[in-house]
Amino acid sequence: MNMKKKLLSLSLAAMMTVSLAACGGASDINENGEFNPTKNITWICTSSAGGGSDLFTRKLSEIMTNEKLVNDQTIVVSNETDGAGEVGRNKIATMKSGADYNLLTFNSGDLMPMVDNTKNRAENFRILAIMAVDKQLLFTSETAAEHKTDYAKAGGDLTDFGAAIEAAKNGTYVVIGGSKGDDIATYNALLEELGLTQDQMGYITYDSTGDAITAALGGNLDFVISKPAAASQYVESGDLTPTLALSTERFTGNLADAPTLSEIGDYENVEKPVWRGVAAPAAMSDEAATYWSNVLGQCAESEAWKEYLELNQLIDEYKATEEATQYVADFQADYLASKEG
Amino acid sequence: MENFAMLFAGFQTVLDPVNIGACMLGAILGLVVGAMPGIGSLAGVALLLPLTYKFNPTTAIIMLGALYYSNMYGGSFSAILLNIPGDTPAITTALDGYPMAKKGRPGQALVAANLSSFIGGTIGILILTITASGLAQVGLMFGYAEMTVVLLIAMTSISWLIGENPIKGIVITMLGILVASIGMDTLSGVPRYDFGNIYLLGGITFTPFVIGCVGFAQVIKLVNERKADEEKRHSEEQKVKLSIRGSLLKGHDFRRILPPILRSGVLGTFVGVLPGSGATTGSMVGYAMQKKFKSEEPMGTGAIEGIAASEAGNNAAAAGAFAPLLALGIPGSGTGAVLLGGLMMWGLNPGPLLFDTNPEFCWSLISSLYLANVFTLLVAILIIPVLINILSVPVKYMIPIITCVCIVGAYSTSYSMYGVVIMFISGIIGYLLEKNGFPTAPMLLAFVLAPMLEENMRKAFIASQGKLGIFVNSPLKLVLLAIFLVLVLTPVVKSILRKVKGSNTKAAV
Repeated sequence: MNMKKKLLSLSLAAMMTVSLAACGGASDINENGEFNPTKNITWICTSSAGGGSDLFTRKLSEIMTNEKLVNDQTIVVSNETDGAGEVGRNKIATMKSGADYNLLTFNSGDLMPMVDNTKNRAENFRILAIMAVDKQLLFTSETAAEHKTDYAKAGGDLTDFGAAIEAAKNGTYVVIGGSKGDDIATYNALLEELGLTQDQMGYITYDSTGDAITAALGGNLDFVISKPAAASQYVESGDLTPTLALSTERFTGNLADAPTLSEIGDYENVEKPVWRGVAAPAAMSDEAATYWSNVLGQCAESEAWKEYLELNQLIDEYKATEEATQYVADFQADYLASKEG
Repeated sequence: MENFAMLFAGFQTVLDPVNIGACMLGAILGLVVGAMPGIGSLAGVALLLPLTYKFNPTTAIIMLGALYYSNMYGGSFSAILLNIPGDTPAITTALDGYPMAKKGRPGQALVAANLSSFIGGTIGILILTITASGLAQVGLMFGYAEMTVVLLIAMTSISWLIGENPIKGIVITMLGILVASIGMDTLSGVPRYDFGNIYLLGGITFTPFVIGCVGFAQVIKLVNERKADEEKRHSEEQKVKLSIRGSLLKGHDFRRILPPILRSGVLGTFVGVLPGSGATTGSMVGYAMQKKFKSEEPMGTGAIEGIAASEAGNNAAAAGAFAPLLALGIPGSGTGAVLLGGLMMWGLNPGPLLFDTNPEFCWSLISSLYLANVFTLLVAILIIPVLINILSVPVKYMIPIITCVCIVGAYSTSYSMYGVVIMFISGIIGYLLEKNGFPTAPMLLAFVLAPMLEENMRKAFIASQGKLGIFVNSPLKLVLLAIFLVLVLTPVVKSILRKVKGSNTKAAV
């Protein structure tokens, strides 16, 4: 029995030494004050595997590994979806130890519910970079077998958003659909600009843009808010028609036909950029933050990243840590102001 | 006919040795993953997805398709043997499967389940082959109002599970609805009943909840009601009956299961096509419908028809769910959404053009489903004799084993202890409820169906600005409503008729 106890304490001591050595972070910052990772990196993605955020995270980690940007350390992508993602975000926000080795995929669609439902704010994180920006359009499905909405039944022209605005003002109910998060914010901005209420132009929230497009194809919606990538195939096949660019200028390619809001009436253009970024614990050392910002910058330059952006029709808009921090802070301030207003 | 020509071309691709290997691997993994409680097809596909990035897309989708598909088989194993549904579509399988195993016919229950899966699945794949893109259009016809009525019909199945005490049944159904409403409201994004806890913002996760209510509650019951000598007798009794020959279905049994399989197979396929309803709804609707037909034993007491209806329904729905995925790029379920993510990762653009731009890919996937179906049936039947030995393991060993399985399953839904905590709490509550005569099945069904019903109904009201007319303004809606009303009113009318008859005869006397 005694022998066993001794062995146990000995092995415990050994384990502690090993783990202490592993945590003794001094060795990963050299005399020039440069950080270089010497341990595995954990990358938290607060969406489930297979979704857009997950693909974004895995693509970046793949580029970092393939281009040998992380000193041959392994990046472990961890999908932490508890509490609709708030648990994972809170973990990063409050992380004290190991802060240099933890990254978080952080998007506009994550920030809004976080600000709504928790005490966490963008300031509780270190924003390392904005990697890409996305914009939205309104689409309509002219080809739906049966149009079930009031506006369409009243003979409204689905391809003319200007006509839909007039109809809404004159009492015909117009219904728009989109996903939760980003799309709702854009819808609210649109509604405010048009001076309409949600009883005149309603919004139906879907779990994903895919679900919203399905509803539009079934004739259940007049218009659907989508990013270019998700709608692209449907535009090509003629199932969806772009009707309004939610942007300060028109899109290109097969989306070029959609006018901006200022073109169809006396309105300001509505544009709510949707961004995808990378954040880290606020406790991350300055050296590590510089390092990660550089690595992400190198990723943004890579061919593989350019291919990814093109495939997903994202706008290449890399912002390094300082600029990104300001950008996110402004976005949050805007959002909070719109909530109060 | 053109479809069949394309299908044969697809078979040529699938019969490539690499692809056969991928298909087999997917089928075996799916069976294993499905049999493990908690790790459903969603987690299985999500876990394997990164591995397949190196494959060519056709091989990758064949493997994932086979995995998704065979998963529906695996779910029934633990449902029948341990009363722990391996994944959510197997909840209704457990309702009759476990009692049947208890009656000393575990082998036959398993064979019936797998055979039903096979036939139901084949029906689904055949319908998928013939109609392919046409089927997806049927799904589009179902808007919110139609889905609301479909879900109301599905909810009537709860009444059959309520048991002897209707008040207790209603209480427990309400409890299920209440628990389901915890978390973020999907339409407005407002948190409900989160009590300031960030974990509760995501709601009560379904899988740990089910594992707790059904599986862990079972463990507590075993611990409390264990009597050593009884146990011995029980295991000896079991040993006699657990032979391979005893597992084979007799002609009579086969005749009993065939009609429910055919009904559930066709119905399940269409349910699978509907937006947002996957294999779980497929098995529940199949099971609910079987209640309307005659079963030799009462449903819920080990009727082989119940197993057949449920298993055929979920496999058919799994096949049906591929129609909107391939033809329109619309995922019919969570697993479909992950597959969709995979398609994009492989550089394919899922959407209405996929059948035109990548026919080889689509048809290989469909033909691989046939192959996976046959292959999974073979593997499943072969391992049944081994599996049924689980039942002869003495209870004192089963308790720790099932507890471990419950913990692992609950943990693996979101890879956090949150699931385990939910599992333990719902296990204790589930046990207390069961002990006081509250059946837990209605709670689980309400938990699944109520959020879908709420979402569709509220969307219908937003779309119509709160007018009730949206539920009756098309022939399809009227037909669905009529079915619903017939289901709900039949017992009422029957009892009135009986009373009238009774008073008439009294008057005559």
